[in-house]
Amino acid sequence: MSDHVIGFEHVSVRFARHTALRDVSVRLEQRRIAVIGSNGSGKSTFARTLNGLIVASEGEIRVHGIDPAREPKQVRQRVGFIFSNPDTQIIMPTVAEDVAFSLRRRGLPRAEIRDRVTAALNDFGLAAEADSPVHELSSGQKQLLALCAVLIGEPGLVVADEPTAYLDAANSRRIAGFLLDRMPQQLVLITHDLRLAARCDIALRFEGGRLSDQGEPGPVIARYEEDQEQP
Amino acid sequence: MERFETRDVARIVVFAAIMAVLGLPGAVTLFGGAVPITLQSMGAMLAGAVLGPWRGATSIIVFLVLTFAGLPLLSGGRGGAGVFVGPSAGYLAGWVLGAFVVGVIVRFRGRPPVWWRTALGCLVGGMAVVYAIGVPVQAAVTHLPLGKTVLSALVFVPGDLLKVVFATIVTMALWRAYPRAFELK
Amino acid sequence: MISLYRPGTSLLHRMPAGPKLVVVAGLATAISLLPANPLLLAAVLVAVAGCYLLAGTGIAEAGRQLWRLRWVLLVVSLSQVFFLPVLAVAANVIRVGAVVLVANLITLTTRTDRLIDALERALRPLRKLGVNSDRVALMLSMTITTIPVIAGFAARIREAQRARGVTVSPFAAVVPLLVMALKHADDLADALVARGAD
Repeated sequence: MSDHVIGFEHVSVRFARHTALRDVSVRLEQRRIAVIGSNGSGKSTFARTLNGLIVASEGEIRVHGIDPAREPKQVRQRVGFIFSNPDTQIIMPTVAEDVAFSLRRRGLPRAEIRDRVTAALNDFGLAAEADSPVHELSSGQKQLLALCAVLIGEPGLVVADEPTAYLDAANSRRIAGFLLDRMPQQLVLITHDLRLAARCDIALRFEGGRLSDQGEPGPVIARYEEDQEQP
Repeated sequence: MERFETRDVARIVVFAAIMAVLGLPGAVTLFGGAVPITLQSMGAMLAGAVLGPWRGATSIIVFLVLTFAGLPLLSGGRGGAGVFVGPSAGYLAGWVLGAFVVGVIVRFRGRPPVWWRTALGCLVGGMAVVYAIGVPVQAAVTHLPLGKTVLSALVFVPGDLLKVVFATIVTMALWRAYPRAFELK
Repeated sequence: MISLYRPGTSLLHRMPAGPKLVVVAGLATAISLLPANPLLLAAVLVAVAGCYLLAGTGIAEAGRQLWRLRWVLLVVSLSQVFFLPVLAVAANVIRVGAVVLVANLITLTTRTDRLIDALERALRPLRKLGVNSDRVALMLSMTITTIPVIAGFAARIREAQRARGVTVSPFAAVVPLLVMALKHADDLADALVARGAD
């Protein structure tokens, strides 16, 4: 059953000036996967290899049975990506148009797209904003819109790269609650917020491009905090 | 016609938006707004210098199409189909070819910018080409003989020369601050 | 971004964008070719006023348009008054004003997104020449989304410089704006790919 499995075998990612991932091997089946580590540790690179935004220089990646390097289009249908800054993610000028954008290559009839968009906006409490210009939304609403636009594509995996970084406490709770508790999809959550990581089923820790620790979130986070406190 | 990759699409879009922001009152001012000149013609020079001929000209077209479609994006809040039949229509069209020529000269054979080629490109593309299209169109629209239109257009030469200098300094400063912006592929 | 469009239900509002463009272009050409005859020019002014009544926006809207054009018309008159007889100058100013006013009828009575749709349809036959009308429409929509974002960058730079109390050098604002904007472009490109737009 390769349906909800993420597999990395000896994956390295090298850029012109530095190596971002070194020899990462891991097999993940849990629903909620937290990824922690200091800045520049390789977390974001790891996230971006999952939908082929970054291609591995070495090694094999399988995401729900798909090789992101060989089938980038398929993997992007399967993997929804949430960026930390919703401004960079929203493409169309109004809320409903942006959600509909996610369905544009599916060959669906106009009426069905409209119905599905309306239903999704209702789900996310954005129905009143359907025809509003996106720049009039609050940051929390923008991130909700980004999430709504990703989930309407019915991905099997949602990768969220610090999705609460730009949000206040109340909006962070809202977005995190949705990702961690309400959503049925598999989740890879890159975060600096260790309380969110603690609510996942497994935590991965990256340091210097290596997968340096993994397992039950509690102990992984405890060791991470210990290392952080040392000079 | 070159094919545009996703990254090019994003940069074309962002430069079209920069053109619009340069036209917003008070958004970006020179000398604290003491000199009332529109920076949008400088935007056309920058588009060519940074994005190269094809992408630069395309971003100006995108900006102008949105203006035509009814967004008040030209400095002073002007926009709509009217400006494309008004006296300045030729200058707007000149920005498109101008950005292209700036791109050809500044990024000659895909090279990075150097100050003298940037200055030359902005002078030829950003001024000479823009005037070459703008002045005859202005003459035709206002029914003023060409020679006399040329005389009246001389008023704008000092301000435009200033913009050539600004565009050159800004381009070279951007090249030092963020060379990645100038990648053509 | 507030469009210049004025909602309404007039004949002009109901007319499809393509034919409307053709009709207005014809009118504008006719006006600009008129000889400098006072009677004809008066007739043009009446006709333009009539068009605005027909569009349901009223004469006041035409007045607002003229007010917006005041600098353009002033520059046209000043640049001509030394070279041409007064009647010719008046004729030229009226022609320029009338042509612009007539052309703006399109903008006043057609929603921006309808015009963009019309343009996309008009570009479709050019597919063989390598023009991707889908992509053009995408770039136009994305630009509308992006303008407020870049305007936000400009506001942040202004505030930061005011907070530091620096005397703003002419380039101190433009260079960081370009850097932020072009970094935003790279992030936007990632999002486009991630959302399957390539």
